[in-house]
Order: sequence, then structure tokens, then C-alpha cells
Amino acid sequence: MGKKLRWRVLLILLVVVGAIAGYVWTGYRHAKKEMVGDGNPSMKDALKKAIKLGLDLRGGIHLVLQVNTADAVKAERDDATETLQREAKAAGIGPVEFPTDSSFTVAVTPQTDLAKLEDTVKRFLPDWAYSTGGGKWTFTLKDPSRRLIEDNATAQAVETIRNRVDEFGVAEPLIARQGKDRILVQLPGIDDPKRVKDLIKNTAFLELSLVESGPSTEDALKANYSGDQFKILEAKAVSGSRDRLYYAVRKQAVITGRDLKNARPSQGQFGAHSVSFFLTAAGSQKFGAATGANIGKQLAIVLDNRVQSAPNIKDRITEQGVIEGSFTAEEANDLALVLRAGALPAGLTYLEERTVGPSLGLDSIKKGIRASVVGALIVFVAMALYYRRAGWNAIFALILNALLLAAAMAMFEATLTLPGIAGFILTIGMAVDSNVLVFERIREELRNGRAPKAAIENGFSKAFATIVDTHATTIISALFLLQFGTGPVKGFAVTLIIGLLISMFTAVFVSHTIFELEYGRRQHIDTVSI
Amino acid sequence: MEFFRQTNIDFLKYKWWAIGASWALIAVGLFTVFVQKGLKFGIDFSGGTAIVIRLAERPDIDKMRTDLDGAGLGEIGIQRYEEPEKNEVLIRVQQQAKEGRDVAGEVLRALRQSLQAETDPNKIDINIEGRATLAVRLAAADPDHVAGKPDVNPEEHYAQAAERVIARRSELGLFRSPADVDSVAGISDAVKAWIKPNTVAGPFVLLSAENVGPQVGKDLQKKALYAVIWSTIGMLAYIAFRFRSLPFGVGAIVALVHDTLITVGLLALFGREFNLIVVAALLTLVGYSVNDTVVVYDRVRENLKTPKKEPLEVVINRSINQTLSRTILTSGATMLVVIALFFLGGEVLNTFALTLIIGIIVGTYSSIYVAAAIVVIWNDWKKGRKLAVVPAPVKVEPPPAQPIAPATPGKKKQKGR
Repeated sequence: MGKKLRWRVLLILLVVVGAIAGYVWTGYRHAKKEMVGDGNPSMKDALKKAIKLGLDLRGGIHLVLQVNTADAVKAERDDATETLQREAKAAGIGPVEFPTDSSFTVAVTPQTDLAKLEDTVKRFLPDWAYSTGGGKWTFTLKDPSRRLIEDNATAQAVETIRNRVDEFGVAEPLIARQGKDRILVQLPGIDDPKRVKDLIKNTAFLELSLVESGPSTEDALKANYSGDQFKILEAKAVSGSRDRLYYAVRKQAVITGRDLKNARPSQGQFGAHSVSFFLTAAGSQKFGAATGANIGKQLAIVLDNRVQSAPNIKDRITEQGVIEGSFTAEEANDLALVLRAGALPAGLTYLEERTVGPSLGLDSIKKGIRASVVGALIVFVAMALYYRRAGWNAIFALILNALLLAAAMAMFEATLTLPGIAGFILTIGMAVDSNVLVFERIREELRNGRAPKAAIENGFSKAFATIVDTHATTIISALFLLQFGTGPVKGFAVTLIIGLLISMFTAVFVSHTIFELEYGRRQHIDTVSI
Repeated sequence: MEFFRQTNIDFLKYKWWAIGASWALIAVGLFTVFVQKGLKFGIDFSGGTAIVIRLAERPDIDKMRTDLDGAGLGEIGIQRYEEPEKNEVLIRVQQQAKEGRDVAGEVLRALRQSLQAETDPNKIDINIEGRATLAVRLAAADPDHVAGKPDVNPEEHYAQAAERVIARRSELGLFRSPADVDSVAGISDAVKAWIKPNTVAGPFVLLSAENVGPQVGKDLQKKALYAVIWSTIGMLAYIAFRFRSLPFGVGAIVALVHDTLITVGLLALFGREFNLIVVAALLTLVGYSVNDTVVVYDRVRENLKTPKKEPLEVVINRSINQTLSRTILTSGATMLVVIALFFLGGEVLNTFALTLIIGIIVGTYSSIYVAAAIVVIWNDWKKGRKLAVVPAPVKVEPPPAQPIAPATPGKKKQKGR
């Protein structure tokens, strides 16, 4: 064996051993991470878990949400209006109107002190541009401020969703912002689509406010409690009853979700599910003062503008309270969770949703593997029949290709999807192309009367440029598939690209080395089995 | 074994026939797409909802359709899915006008009603609910009495039990009754005893639910179109870089567009649905088509380098014959695996495989009859105008009977080891 050849064999062996070790080690790491408790995962587990499976094989949920940033802008508008009404009282202003979500108008009367109003606006509403005319001032949110508010709303929504998903306990979630106002959420292994969707979308805006009157009908309350100090809210429907009940509550909340330190599901008398919450120090102080001063009155627990319950205040409460309502175990659990994780700054809309149940994934894997094995075996048989000994050389290269591809996928943490399995099979079909190109060239050289050794050398060197071309074209088109972002197709592209890159190594370098091992040692060869 | 030993077929003699056949196929495809059926888009592109469920009983499709029509979701299609003995059904709902409606949830609710599933708010459906919900219910009931024990985390304890129950459901296909939990290994009898009275086994299991809103559908359409266009441009750039010759580049690109058009047309003719996976197959095809063309071109270029003076058509014909064995063999090998995929890969990959089957046949054919033929036609035309673009020497003699000349040693430089 020549010195050069020895190095090549050594390199191939190193790569193979490295690939096997890398595969097993990655699998072992994954299996260990998934294991509950102590102990070591079995070899079988390690082999199974080495390659990360996509949602379509593993089961899970893929969601694309839109943050309704207009909500955040509207909240900012309401804030600004309130500020203006409070601060410009001395200047004397007329009624406020809202032509759009991001603007408002203030009527000016002859009594209005315009200079004072302008001064107030400059001091308190720096983010708003205003124009005058038609007996009113029109305020619009300045563009940079608006963009900032929208941007913050999306960023905050991502954080809130991340908190909630983490609390729910999902292994390897993916939560990523996409563009201006979209969020991609991928939760592998989750099989409760409805529950998770509700959990993510729940705005969870909690307010505890004093009740002025109620429960009563909407009309009765509207007659007595209009004005900017109160708001009239619907109560959560009691099961079995069709009547809608309403409460008039004070607009200024005693405490909100922001004052919460913790929340957890609890069970009251008769096993009813409820949620207990615990307040921060500042929250306790506010709560204590308000409850102490209002003993005997009702306190409304308002969640997303709906009164959950309105218990009587029996005593001064400081640190904790309970939210009751006819919850199921999982509803109580999830409400506690979203209260802990914080409120969303704006509403969310689901733009895309893909759920794959656990059993479909299993089916797909089985079918994919069966198709791969059958496809590969047919190719192997064809190669062995057509090229005889050289065919075995190609088969070895193909098996090595599959092995290295699996190891590369595991070590790069690439995700295998159902189309990815198709990519795997396709790689086998396409990788054989390189072998065929070389073998046909060798046969041609032999036909043209070249000596066997020279024919092999020429076969490899002449086919090389073409092999590079064929690989480059497929890889270029696969690269364009990567931009789709959605898992399955991306998985296909990744598998194909890695597989083809590896086939450059196996079909050219490894295959050539095997030929040399077989024929290179002998001084003279009469025939090549091809 | 050898199938094609030194063939000498005059492929290009039939080039005009082939071009006619190509146009005919393209015309059929375009007719189907634009006049007859149009392209059938899957929900990836058209938006809408697709739900696959597995039922306990043989589904009564007509009844399901009538009941679902009452749900106010617009057009609904129901069909059997995969092998009939699995009782799987695919339900499609048209795109909704409003973004964000929970169509899948509404369909499932309507279906439960249609199938008269037991509904009791205190019982959960172990065929529909997932691990997390079962775990929470178990933890709240605590049948193993682990709460308060110092060495056990109740949440983890019941999460594991729920995991085992759901894993068993996947193995079985679905639970026919809550009593099936008896066959779950690794959970305590107390847990089994709790599950039986507190759950119901609903009439179906949800296999998958996909809902694509109008915005995302439009986005994906745009992305797919751009991907095909840009990869064609990428190919153009690569060929321009590799061959630096206009007729070769034009030939390869025309062949590529030809392959894509015929494949899309035939898919439409067969009534197949276009989704993201089919686009993946189409893009693979773009690569494959050029790949095949490049192999022929490489050989043409190599043959043109020899000082022998031959007409271009002869050189190209010889190059095609020389690469014929390889072309048939690799197309054949890829075809074999794709056929395996077509028959064994399941419903999702079926159209993907069909796209590749059509594409490989058309792509192989077009390398010869489109890509190579265009170079010849271009050259003939240029010659007619006395302007040779391809470095092809002038015609001196009629084509030799035996095109493959015996090798003369020393003519080509041999690369050392």
C-alpha cells in the first residue's frame, strides 16, 4: 500500500468512526435530557433519539400569530385622552371624540383657554401631533412613536408567550418574531391544540375593582352609572342560566395583574377549582387600604373585562385572594399560569395553525422508513447486477453516504421531517449518479483500449467536473427552498443539501480509494470487474 | 451486464418531431390549467382548513356531510383517506373571510354532535384530550395519593402516567372504551380505576389539523412563485458561468422551463393538488433537469475540443450516445427510489413522488430533445447567417459510421495519481 493510499484509508476510517461516535453521543445526550429521574439511557434509546424529528413526525403544534398592534395604539390613545382630560381641566375643554384608533379630537369652546391647553399638550403629550380647526383640536399619534408602540407590543407579546409556554412545560419550544407583527410558535410533542391555543391567546388582563352596584340588568345600571368614573361590565355566565348579569364598577382599579407576585390553582370547599393569588408588597399595601376602607362592599374580580365573581369584603385583606368561578381543573391551572406569566399587551389572531397528533407522526415514520429501505435495496440490487464488483463498491459508498448523512443530521441538530425522509431517499438515488458517471467513464476508457489502471484513473478524473456540476445544480435549487421557513419543506432542503455534499466525498474519494485498494497493489491487471 | 454498448442512434434526426410532441404536451397542460380545470391548490396556498381524523366505526360520509353543512362554515369536502380499513377521513373547509376563526374547533364540535358523542363537562375525552390535560386532571384527583410525599413530584408523576396512556392510544389507533386503559403498562391500578369512570372514549382521534389563513396563503403563494423564478435565474447564472455560451445557456433554460410546464400541466390534468411539498418536488426537478442537461453538455464540450473536424450535429449526437448509458441508468436509479416512495410513502408524499416521476422522465427526454436540439438549431440558423457562435468547425465530411475512434495514446494528457 502506498503512503498516500494509507493516509486516505486512515482518513476514511477516522470519518466513519467519528460519524458513528458522533451519532451515538448525540443520541445519548438527547435521550439523557428527555429522561425523567436518574440512570442512563439504553443504547436503543440513544440510537432512536439521535436525530431531531420535526413536528410532522414527532407530533406537535405550529402556530403563526399576528399581534393586533392596533390594540396597543388604542390603549395609548385612551391613556392620552385621560391625561389630557385630567391636566387640561383648568383650561376648560369640550367633549372628546375618537374618529380612528390612533387619533382623537377635543372640542374647544369660547371659554377654553387656548394658551393653557397648548401648554398642557406640549407638556404631557409629546408623542402627539395636533392640528386645529372646525372648533376642535385633532390629535394624531406621531409616526415614530406609533412605530415604537407597535414594536414594543410585539416584543412584549413574544416575551409573554415565552413565559407562558415555559410555565406550561414544553421541551424545546420555538418562539420567534417574524417581521413587524407576527410571531411563530412551534411546540413539539404538544397534543392539546385547543388548550395551548387558548393559553397563548388569553390576554389575562386582571383587575380588582370596587363594585358600585350590581348584579343587575345593563339598562338599569346605564341609567345611574354613566360617566367617566364607572364602567359597566358583564358577568361570567352562570351555567344553565340565560340571563346576562352586569355590574357597575369603579373605573380606577384597586389592583391589577401587575401587582401579582404569584398565582396557583387551588381547590375550595366541595372540591371546586379556583385560583389563589399573592400580591407584591406594594400591591398588598394598596389592597389592604382599599379593602379596609370598604368592608361590607362587593369587590369585582375582573378578567379581560368580564366579572368572574364579586365577593363581599368581609375583612381587610392584604396579601392574597382567591378567584372563584366554575373552573375545570385545567382551566384553573391555566388561569394561574397566565396570571403568573403576565398579561399580553395586545390581542392575538391566529393566522396559521398546524397540529399533528402523535399517532400520525408514528405512521409517517414507519412508511417513510419502509419506502427508504425498499428504494435503497432496489438500487443496490440494480448496481450489483449491472456493475458486478464495482457495483459493490458503489453500494458501500451509498451505505456510507446514508450513515454519514444520519450522523451529520444528528450532530448539526438538523431536523428530520417527512419530506426530509423523501430527501434522504432521493439522495441515495442521486448519489448513485456520481458512481454511474465514473463507472461508465471507466468502461468507455476500457473499450477505447486503455489499460485497466489508467482507465480507472481517467474515469475518475474525467467524470469529476461533471460530478461537481450535477451536485451544484441540485444544491442551488434546494437552497431556494430554505426560504420557505415552514418546517417540513425546509427539512427536505436541508437533508438534500447535506446528503449531496456528503456524496461528493463518498462517491468520489471513498469509491476511488476502494478501487485503488483492490487494483492498485497489483503490478499488472488484466480485467476490471465493472 | 451492459444495456447500451456503443449505441449510435441518430437522436437529432427526430428533433422536429420531438419539438412538436413537446409543444403538444405543453398545450395540453396549459389547456387544462387555463381553460378546463385550473390548478388545484392545497390549503397551503388557497387558505382554508384540512382535518384528518380516525374513527372508531366505519364513517358514514353522507351523514357527516349533512351535519357539517349545518355548521355555517361554507363549502366542506369530506373524503376517505389512506387505506379504507383504517377508517380515516379528510375534511376540508373552505377559506373563511375572517382571519383567526377556530374552524378546526368548530368542525370537531359539530362532528362530535353528529356522531352523538357523550358530552359531560366533568369527563374528558381520552381520544381527543392530550397528555397535559389528562395529567392535570389526574393530579387534581390524585388517585395514587402522592401529594405531600417528600420524594415524589405529583406533577411529574402524573405527567408520566398520562404520557403512557396517550402512547398506548397511538399504538392502538384509538381507545374504543375507557376500559382499554387496562392494557396500559406502567401505570398503577388506582390510576386506571380513576380513568374509567371519569373519562369517555370519543368516536374519533384527531390525526392532524391544519388551518391556513388568507394572509399566510397569499404569502406562501408569492414565496413559491419567487422560489421557482429565482432558482431558474440561479440555474441560468450557473450555466452562464460554466459554459459561457449563449446557445448552451438558452438550451438549458428552455429545457428547464419545458420540464416545469409539462410537469405542472400533467399534475393539473391528473387532478393533483398543489401544496408546499409539491413545490419542493418542482424545485428539485429544476435542479435535476439542469443536472441532466449539464452531463450531455459537458460531453459535447469535451468532444468539441478534439481537433477532429466534424459538424456540430454529429458531435452532439455522439455525445448523447456516449452519455446515454449513464443517463438511462441514473434516471432509472432515481426513478426506482421515487417509485418506492410513490407506492409506500403514504398519502402526503404521493403527489411529491408523482411530480418527480413525471419530472425525471420529461427531464431526461428534454436534455436530448430540447437542450441539445436547441444548440443544433441555433447553430444551423447562425450558420445560415454566416456567423458561427459555437466553436464548431466547418463541415468537411459526412458522419463516420463508427463515431468512437480508438484511443491514440498521448493525445490526451493523463493525470497522475
